Amino acid sequence: MNSIKSINFKNFNYRQWLMENSALVTLVALVIIAILIQGDTFLNTRNIVNILLNNAIIGIIAIGMTMIIIIGGIDLSVGSLTAACGLVALWVMNTTGNIFLGFMAAIAVGVVVGGINGTLASRFRIPDFIVTLGMMRIIRSLSLHYARGGGIMIDRSPELGVGGFLAFSGTRIFGGYLPLPVIYWLALAVLMTIVCNRTALGRHMYAVGSNERAANLSAVNVKRVKTYIYMIAGALVGVAALVEASRIGSMNSASSGTFYELEAIAAVIIGGTAISGGRGRIWGTVFGTLIIGVINNLMNLMQLPSFLVGAIQGTILILAVLLQQLASKKEKQF
Amino acid sequence: MSVAVEMKAIKKSFGANYVLKGVNFTLEKGSIHALLGENGAGKSTLMNILGNVVLKDEGSIIIDGKEIDQLRDQKVITGKIGFIHQELSLVNDLNIFENLYLGSELKKGFLLDKKTMESKSKEVLTRMGVNIHPNTLVGELNPSYKQVTEIARALLKEAQVIIMDEPTASLTDVEIEGIFKVIQTLKEQGIAIIFISHKLNEVIQICDSYTILRDGDVVATGKVGPEITERDLSTHMVGREVSSDDIYSERELGETVLEIKNLSREREYKNINMYLRKGEILGVTGLLGDGRTELFASVYGANAPYEGEIVVNGQAVKMNNTNTAKKNKIGYVPKNRKENGIVPDLSIKENLVLPIMKDISSFGLISPQKQNSLTAQYVKKLNIKVSDTKNKITSLSGGNQQKVVLSKALCIDPKVLILDNPTQGVDVGAKMEIYRQIISLAEQGYSFIVLSNEVPELQKTCDRVYVMFNGEVRHELLHDEMDEETIMLIATGGSIAE
Repeated sequence: MNSIKSINFKNFNYRQWLMENSALVTLVALVIIAILIQGDTFLNTRNIVNILLNNAIIGIIAIGMTMIIIIGGIDLSVGSLTAACGLVALWVMNTTGNIFLGFMAAIAVGVVVGGINGTLASRFRIPDFIVTLGMMRIIRSLSLHYARGGGIMIDRSPELGVGGFLAFSGTRIFGGYLPLPVIYWLALAVLMTIVCNRTALGRHMYAVGSNERAANLSAVNVKRVKTYIYMIAGALVGVAALVEASRIGSMNSASSGTFYELEAIAAVIIGGTAISGGRGRIWGTVFGTLIIGVINNLMNLMQLPSFLVGAIQGTILILAVLLQQLASKKEKQF
Repeated sequence: MSVAVEMKAIKKSFGANYVLKGVNFTLEKGSIHALLGENGAGKSTLMNILGNVVLKDEGSIIIDGKEIDQLRDQKVITGKIGFIHQELSLVNDLNIFENLYLGSELKKGFLLDKKTMESKSKEVLTRMGVNIHPNTLVGELNPSYKQVTEIARALLKEAQVIIMDEPTASLTDVEIEGIFKVIQTLKEQGIAIIFISHKLNEVIQICDSYTILRDGDVVATGKVGPEITERDLSTHMVGREVSSDDIYSERELGETVLEIKNLSREREYKNINMYLRKGEILGVTGLLGDGRTELFASVYGANAPYEGEIVVNGQAVKMNNTNTAKKNKIGYVPKNRKENGIVPDLSIKENLVLPIMKDISSFGLISPQKQNSLTAQYVKKLNIKVSDTKNKITSLSGGNQQKVVLSKALCIDPKVLILDNPTQGVDVGAKMEIYRQIISLAEQGYSFIVLSNEVPELQKTCDRVYVMFNGEVRHELLHDEMDEETIMLIATGGSIAE
């Protein structure tokens, strides 16, 4: 045993380690650069907490997106779904006066829409891209129609008693430093990491993404696994919508959640998940989300024109995939 | 005769794994040279070095009397060496001449010069002694003509050496004859052919010389003459005498465990009736396109819907998905391991326990202990050569990957095991090992269905064989009635006198 261990240590594959942890390495490098350029302006509790808080919503959505991309799919409907879940939650709370029912409603809408996406994509073999593109338009349009193009605000009247919902995102713990949404984000990342690595569903997810035929012939119910993953991702969108609704106190049918799908996909890809499926990790996505977050923050602190944020983000996205491709090409030669 | 290729003292290692330990290889012009060896002996690596897919560590390569630098002379090598891979790289939706000129199209100004391309393609095909129109869509060709097309592409680039990696693996006997004719024609034109195959009878039939690799060394090389027998070659390959003894022995068979009644599926198979008894090894054979693979994919629930009935232990079961088959204790080893058998991004042990992940979980979490002990059990039982089961499955050699796929089917504790082409791309020694495993499992009460087109395989293992033709069962033969000629005759649509 001992000798085997020492050989393994000697042959430690730095390149492979770097490839698997490229997001973490990039994030660390980025933070060091940020400290060098901005010093205390960047590195203070307030700013760091802000970065975490500002990215918690995309972070939660991106966790589900990671699982969908690992299984070989893609979900363009998450942005619209965020708005829809938030609107439904607020409407339920405002009409019933019950916060808990609002929570249930948001998550239920997420799960049901995810289930429809997953079923259409797996059982009826419509490409994921098309199903969720259609769903994105449908949900947005229904939300707009229902809210007449406007939004819904939480009813703060004390008689109704749902104003407490604002505390769901507004509370800060650890001496008023750490906002709860950050905790939700990291806790869900831990939970979903366990689901990915330690449960049958998680293992089936990797198997289906890597080789669907072999998975099917290994008695894995491919259609069911796909549908479940979409449902989980939908539930996570429901949670993200609740966080957003609670933070702002309202939801807008036209503007809420726009481009969330693109930001989430970018975070997943920058986090090192293969767009072709089969490979990827939740923590990579968390780091990917933070990479985008730190860059945004840095540009903000340096007072660079905010219109250029998109250009920088796009460049990084393309660079991330380019690096992945170069790395996998090298790997193939050996 | 003059020398086409000479490789001297070639060395290559991947990490700590020495794959080639100083291999010498000489190929003469106008000859067919067999390159033999078990899986993992180093054949593929040697050929990948010659084809410039892999860089050598040490040694020299001389092509046409000139020493070649793998980095500088890439164009020379790709022009002179044509590598015909097992997985063909043709575009089905283009026709033959479009495939031949893919990437190096002839042009007249901005437009394609179809006429010249077509006539030159026709020239090459004629030169190979093949009479097909270059306008034919590649998707419509049978497998042997696809190979011909692939060879033609190499010839068009004026290749001097053609490497053929198991060209006959997926061909029927008639098609094999056709390919052999083409190879002979090329040989007469001075082209050197390297023929990689596990089928030793073919080697003796058409090859002029042979080189045998074992564990990265050349263990034998010479001319193929009348004094060389299949047994000589296989002994060198495995390094010991392979017993080709009759390992079959009659067993006590139990009650019927599986019955197929009037099973049909459009354009695939029709009115199939079969039965399987406990402890029985049942063979199903035929030529390519006989429908057996589709039929048993249906039995395993991977090819629904179907008409008719599948009866397991006396109960009709609707095989809608593979999970139903698993619940009914039916295991399946698919053919084409790479496409259907392995999950490349998962580790060896994760592949092995894939079908029973839920069963080895407690409170929803997979138990690492159960996973490890199960894996260890099968590694021992099937003698899988593996350094660490945490490694990716793709790190294993083909034969060992196949054993993992077999373990995967066994771990659901099946009563019936369907094996589709179980020894595809497996070398002689490992083949016998697999046959012995099958027989000993049958003695323990497992029932087997072996789909195969190799008659010796059926003779060694099966109690009974169904011969299929064109989607129908044509004949049922008992163990004593199986001989190659009879089976061939039925499989090609002929009938035997009663």
